[in-house]
Amino acid sequence: MREIIKLGLILLLITSISAVVLGLTNDITKGEIAEAEALVSEEARMAVLPDASKFEEEDTDEITQIVKDNENILEVYRGLSDNEEVVGYAIKTASPGYGGNVEVITGLSIDGKITGMNVVSHQETPGLGANATTSDFQSQFKEKPADNEIVVTKSTPQNDSEIQSLTGATITSDAVVKGVNMARELYNNNLK
Amino acid sequence: MNLMKTFKNGLLNENPVFVQLLGMCPTLAVTTSATDGMAMGLATTTVLLASNLVISLFRKVIPDKIRIPSFIVIIATFVTLIGMFMHAYAMSLYKSLGLFIPLIVVNCLILGRAESFASKNKPVGSIVDGLGMGFGFTIALTVLGIVREILGAGSIFGIQLLGESFKPAIIMILPPGAFLALGLLIGLLNYVNKLRKNKADNQEANKSVA
Amino acid sequence: MELLTIAISAMLVNNFILSKFLGICPFLGVSKKVETATGMTMAVAFVMTLASIMTYFIQVAVLEPLGLEFLQTIAFILIIASLVQFVEMFIKKASPTLYEALGVYLPLITTNCAVLGLTLLNIQEKFNLLETIVHGVFAAIGFGLAIILFAGIRERLALADVPESLEGFPIALITAGLMSIAFLGFAGLV
Repeated sequence: MREIIKLGLILLLITSISAVVLGLTNDITKGEIAEAEALVSEEARMAVLPDASKFEEEDTDEITQIVKDNENILEVYRGLSDNEEVVGYAIKTASPGYGGNVEVITGLSIDGKITGMNVVSHQETPGLGANATTSDFQSQFKEKPADNEIVVTKSTPQNDSEIQSLTGATITSDAVVKGVNMARELYNNNLK
Repeated sequence: MNLMKTFKNGLLNENPVFVQLLGMCPTLAVTTSATDGMAMGLATTTVLLASNLVISLFRKVIPDKIRIPSFIVIIATFVTLIGMFMHAYAMSLYKSLGLFIPLIVVNCLILGRAESFASKNKPVGSIVDGLGMGFGFTIALTVLGIVREILGAGSIFGIQLLGESFKPAIIMILPPGAFLALGLLIGLLNYVNKLRKNKADNQEANKSVA
Repeated sequence: MELLTIAISAMLVNNFILSKFLGICPFLGVSKKVETATGMTMAVAFVMTLASIMTYFIQVAVLEPLGLEFLQTIAFILIIASLVQFVEMFIKKASPTLYEALGVYLPLITTNCAVLGLTLLNIQEKFNLLETIVHGVFAAIGFGLAIILFAGIRERLALADVPESLEGFPIALITAGLMSIAFLGFAGLV
């Protein structure tokens, strides 16, 4: 019995030392990690709304409530020009894809156009769904009007509301388009 | 103890991937590109070095009955540390390697070396063993990554090698490709070993006849 | 995500072994005979399900409220290691033959990436308790499906005429590759 207690205490000691080391490192790296993540997000927003020079979180009561209630709407940022005028919005959404959620940031300008789209996080198949991050796919969304629902088509898009799906990755394409449509609707209903 | 021999052991005779078949999960999962394979190999090597060193330093102090849980805690600590540093300073690598960073803790290679070498040998030897095994692992992963990336995406370390007209065999960067590539690589190594052994046997036979 | 989707996805579409590459060591190590494969699967399934539940509670009741998420890896692996200890003691008492057959592979469940991987994924996907349990159970079933099928094939392969260089692990890996291609066929399901 005494031996078990002694062994248990030694294990506890080892675990405690490790917990302390980790706690310290966590404190040291926390700042860097937050900065690095923020930088990635900021760059993604810049990419989808190039006219903006800085972004602020959209913090009206209405929007804050929507973000809180809707688990698929992750972030809503307004983009400001150099003289503090609103030029558009960058909305981050999550929609279920093939291997998990696909996170998309959609840029919408105040004149009702989609200015860009960026897939910021996904677990889709390399070589197929993962091509959603290529500029070929993502640039399809630029300059599309935000009024109508965007639809995925397998053949060449016939009109402004269609985009071509990724080869062999219908599910991923659907997920991305769903995210863009969510952003579109939020914009049309609450931000215009 | 011959340090050079210990080092070479990990690289060739007891190569963790091609001979011992340890650490299979990251080997197959993370080798969709040469860069990812190499990064995972180096991350694992770092943890292996650190844990081998610490375990070897404390080998006389850790009671035998709780050695496995103790090793696990020590290894898990270093894995968490390396995860934090990668998250802070190597964001895109951190995102590519994803789930497999914490999974380094269950890489049987690390626990295996701790149990069979570091807990029974001096720190200097343990460091060399860690380096040898780690590099052996890294080389294996990088090679596999190169093969899969060239065939599956036409690039190497992200640099496009083959032109537009090359239609990559996407299956190589999908799960089946991992199994096939590794199976064929090991088969190839077996074949090369067989040839070398035959040559050596022939030389022996010639000597005894002469 | 709906429960049925989680179940089918974990079992077939994103099969833990053939698609996610979690649990390869036992997949290659214990699949020489269907009998041992089945026994191993049951032990692993038990650990996977229990570990999912326990780690869920630790995450939700301890790590998150106290802001100790960085201790996740250590906490989870310690829970899994303890669970395996208990399962080992239990099997030793309940079925000594199974204990003998599984041999050294039983404690190796601790280093089975499928178990730790599962518990980490549950948190990553932000599953609630019920989703976690469903995910765990069906991931285990998928794991078992892959191993037992593979063992069946390997038993036959042992009698086949394989080129010498490919004997053993190379041909096993190539077979696994073909199985993986087959499972890719499930891609459209969810």
